[in-house]
Amino acid sequence: MDFTFSFTSFLSFLVAFTLAPLFMGVILKVKAFFGGKQGPPWLIKYYTLIKLLRKGSVYSTSTTFIFKLGPIISFVTAFMLLLFFPFAGLPPVLSFHGDVVVLFYLLGLGRFFTVLAALDTASPFEGMGAAREVFFSALAEATIFVILALFFRLSGSLSFAEYFSGDQFVNLWSQSAALIFLVLIALFIVLLTENSRVPVDDPATHLELTMIHEVMILDHSGPDLALIEMGAFCKMLFYSAFISCLLYPFHTGSALYNVLVFNIIMALIYAGVGLVESITARYKMDMVPNFILTSFALVFFATILTMEFVQ
Amino acid sequence: MNIFFLALLLIGVGGTQALATFRLYSLMKAGAVLAIIAGCSFGAYDAAARLLQHAEPVIYNHSWLHIFTFSLKIDAVSAFFLVPVFAIPAVGALYSFQYLHDAKRAAGTAINYFFYALLIISMALVVCANNLISFALAWELMSVSSFFLVIYDVHKKATRGAGYIYFIFTQAGALFIFAGFGFLYSHTGTFGFEALASIPDSAKLIAFILILIGCGSKAGIMPLHIWLPYAHPAAPSHVSAVMSGVMIKMGIYGIVRFYLLLEPTSVVFGQIVIVLGISSGILGVVYAIGKQDIKKMLAYSSVENIGIILLGLGVGMLGAASGNKTMAAFGFAGGLLHVFNHSIFKSLLFMGAGSVLHQTKTGASNELGGLMKTMPVTGRSLLIGSISISGLPPFNGFISEFLIYYGAIHGLSLHGASFVLSALAIIALAVIGALAGAAFTKFIGVVFLGEPRTDKAAKASEAGILMGTALSVLAASCLIIGVWPYHFVQAAFLVTQAIPLVSDYTTAEFMPLMTNISRTAALFILLFIIVTVLRKIFYIGKEVTKSGTWGCGFTQPTVRMQYTGTSYADSIVDFFRPFIRVQKNYSGINKIFPGKTTYSSHTHDTSEIGLNIFVVRPVLYLLSKLRWIQHGNIQLYIGYIVLAIVVMLIFL
Amino acid sequence: MIHISNIFLALILLSVLLSLRSNRLMALVKLMAFQGIIVSAVPLVLDTAHGLTFNLIMFFLLLILVKGLVIPGMMSIAVNKVVASREIEPIIGYHASLFAGLIMIIFSVYITNHLNLASLPASHKLLLVTGITTMGAGLILLMARRKAITQVIGYLMMENGIYLIGTALAKEVHTQYVVEFAVLLDLLVAVLVMGIVLNDINHTFDDVDTALLGQLKD
Repeated sequence: MDFTFSFTSFLSFLVAFTLAPLFMGVILKVKAFFGGKQGPPWLIKYYTLIKLLRKGSVYSTSTTFIFKLGPIISFVTAFMLLLFFPFAGLPPVLSFHGDVVVLFYLLGLGRFFTVLAALDTASPFEGMGAAREVFFSALAEATIFVILALFFRLSGSLSFAEYFSGDQFVNLWSQSAALIFLVLIALFIVLLTENSRVPVDDPATHLELTMIHEVMILDHSGPDLALIEMGAFCKMLFYSAFISCLLYPFHTGSALYNVLVFNIIMALIYAGVGLVESITARYKMDMVPNFILTSFALVFFATILTMEFVQ
Repeated sequence: MNIFFLALLLIGVGGTQALATFRLYSLMKAGAVLAIIAGCSFGAYDAAARLLQHAEPVIYNHSWLHIFTFSLKIDAVSAFFLVPVFAIPAVGALYSFQYLHDAKRAAGTAINYFFYALLIISMALVVCANNLISFALAWELMSVSSFFLVIYDVHKKATRGAGYIYFIFTQAGALFIFAGFGFLYSHTGTFGFEALASIPDSAKLIAFILILIGCGSKAGIMPLHIWLPYAHPAAPSHVSAVMSGVMIKMGIYGIVRFYLLLEPTSVVFGQIVIVLGISSGILGVVYAIGKQDIKKMLAYSSVENIGIILLGLGVGMLGAASGNKTMAAFGFAGGLLHVFNHSIFKSLLFMGAGSVLHQTKTGASNELGGLMKTMPVTGRSLLIGSISISGLPPFNGFISEFLIYYGAIHGLSLHGASFVLSALAIIALAVIGALAGAAFTKFIGVVFLGEPRTDKAAKASEAGILMGTALSVLAASCLIIGVWPYHFVQAAFLVTQAIPLVSDYTTAEFMPLMTNISRTAALFILLFIIVTVLRKIFYIGKEVTKSGTWGCGFTQPTVRMQYTGTSYADSIVDFFRPFIRVQKNYSGINKIFPGKTTYSSHTHDTSEIGLNIFVVRPVLYLLSKLRWIQHGNIQLYIGYIVLAIVVMLIFL
Repeated sequence: MIHISNIFLALILLSVLLSLRSNRLMALVKLMAFQGIIVSAVPLVLDTAHGLTFNLIMFFLLLILVKGLVIPGMMSIAVNKVVASREIEPIIGYHASLFAGLIMIIFSVYITNHLNLASLPASHKLLLVTGITTMGAGLILLMARRKAITQVIGYLMMENGIYLIGTALAKEVHTQYVVEFAVLLDLLVAVLVMGIVLNDINHTFDDVDTALLGQLKD
């Protein structure tokens, strides 16, 4: 494992991690703008985290130790993901050939425990959310692994660090632009699915019956809930960073300039999520698989098309 | 070789002494269990030592009446399979001591131990057999002994039915294997294994397909898997653990062994195996989600894992045929390691399900719930088993799946159909992994978490200490292989050196990979501990209270309102509708003051329906037309015999 | 560097996919308009497109007008005025249609490689794949959907596919479009006829389900 002890990569990781809640504020601001409101302050998510960390907790009498494991594991897995990601083209803290497979499976572990923690409460609503979560994420998983396959086909690499550096980088501004274009759309759909955003899931709805992710964490409170929230911020940050690294070739140019561009693109992606949330309604639950399958079909198309490009 | 025979002898003595001393019930059990464990430990130690020390293959020949030679050979492949063949039944025997506790059925228990020992011996012989005849003999011995193990509860009608189905499938499978052997014999003119590589390519394909069907019906490849969900729930749990964990892998062994012997060069072999792997894997896990009986569900999950193993082997075969070294080595190593891993966590899960069955007297998951509080050891072990079987790090299932991924991803540099199949293999693995997660969150969530749904579940207590020990041992090995995979992966790679293409494959490529995975697992555990401690710190001095689950405003929740396994599975099963049929009976609400409404659903196996329509009915129809042969007239029967003799004399 | 033509082809594939999973008639019609515009513009962005004359540009503009505006416009009128239920009623479900589309693309890549056209420029291979896929998806739509209007959309998609195939196989830019234009005109007439017939059916019957046409057999 390449353990890069460089100050910059560590710093970039820390900055990204601390900025994650701020970017979530962007979504809220965009939504507020479209609603004609002033919206919450930019730092709202930090305030929420601090509030949660200062509270105690109420545990359901039905729950076991798994209920407490859920938040910890979902946070740790999402956090580890960031350690391996090259933010703004800077080398990541950790990296090895094949890390992508390990990381997406670690995310799976996090999901496994989130779902179990939901089932642990014996609540019918949380069970419902859990069932939806495993179903939709199974479809999204297929998309992700096709993307990995496609990237290997294009660049011969199997880690985030390799994707966005060297000669064989994957990017919209390369030979295979058409394929990356399809991947970008698919990845955005996966981002919406995995992070439970509209039109797959509506985090702001008031009716538990229609939720997916939010309903699974109904019974968590205090620092436990804070852990879950932080995990969710990390995950969202990861997917957005993935998209932005595909959008702009960060391995060229000066580091400072790249960091600036990276953060602007990130903000734009979050704003895009907010935009989608403002102008579309969530899908009927039985249309969601269809939506995710589209992303799968897109990247599968792209992969098959590589038979033409790479001869 | 001597230690090997000593092990077999000890196991055999353990089994036979049970028949003699069954009147002293506990003593008989203790004697049998100790002898079997001792024999198995010797055998497993010998095999593991052989494997890791790169021992030269040993051969043992015994000529019987000059008719045929009984020949055994232990090479790397055999040794690799011998480890689970000996190790898992040992744990199963430990478990069985408290599981079989009905002193009134002492004779039945003794017979069970006898055939249990016989099954271990026959499986050991299967993986060591060194010619066609020895293989066939050991194979039949294995089928028969496992059949008697399945019908332990012979007084139950369902068990007899399951035994009947198992017998038909195992014999039909054997028929195909023997047909394949006959075909091979017709080309080589000898029973030996050595000449098989020299037969023409087209003959290789036919022989391989025949053996694939035969071994596939034992292994549980998708359309031939029908016996698994019947036989596994019917058998006692330690037996289903051994059958599902080890015996069905004999089918995989057969496929691997004959692939290596035939040394085929065509890509078709790999392509067939990959397609079978995809269908078994995906459909197996979907059925596992759809079934609500815990042992049935585990049986289907075996079908799924056989699919993963086949994917690995298929990727390896494809790599070997197209000259892609990395793909071949990693595919085979992943498939083989998954054989080993699956034997551990599947036997763990079956034994754990057995404990649940033993303590609650029901296997219907929708009647269980909340067992984590009353059965903590079983619950925690099964949690580990479930994570492992879902292929999640840092447990062992992930290691083998990772190797297969790695192999398949390197297959993407191929062209044409091989490229498409590699891509499909990756997609299938991803979907199987995610759906297995769904199946096993359902398993843990519905059976062990939440509130007990019935009285039976509420009154459950922890299973016996030996049963708990057996489960803990297996659960611990899942974690050990997951965090320190190096030696196990190395063993699997050693086996792959039997393939000509990768015989010179060095450890240089997989070694850093395994270290990295191992370090990532360690990092995960470290971070996990740090965050746990941080969380504890945050809770210091905070008010932590207990209360009922938030019912979204509803204040009178009952346990029946919990999400059941059926509802949890519904949307996924519905998605795969053409391949899986769910029959729903709903009485409906049709009056202003509704009366009693009922709802029931049943998941049907499409291949079972298909088999019924396309094989069973035509055969029955045909045979009913031949009824007239059997008319009861004894003189005519003698006439048949005379006729048969005359015909044989003319033709032979 | 980016090949604009590849992006265009990716967009066409995207529209094909979306049309297979679309469950609203109006969305489908809009998709067809989008697809029509992109498809007719493809020859303009191909690297073989040199020597564009005024006539040729006028021709393509006309094509875009017909494919992108006139036909979809008429269809949207039909949808708004005539069809009572705006949901597409699939015979083969959306998921199955999507998978059929995936199989279609594997098939078309196979066909393209199998044909092994030496004269085909490398950049036209993807065009051929896209064309065959679009045509196949049109066939799937024809088979899998029930409404009369989706039948016409299926035909239109097939026509788009054939147009792309023609573009891929033709060496010169101008000569071949005459035939296709005639086909397009046929289609235009078909849409007109459909509109009139639908209108009449609407007056006579309550539904425009093609399954009901089966009752007309003697």
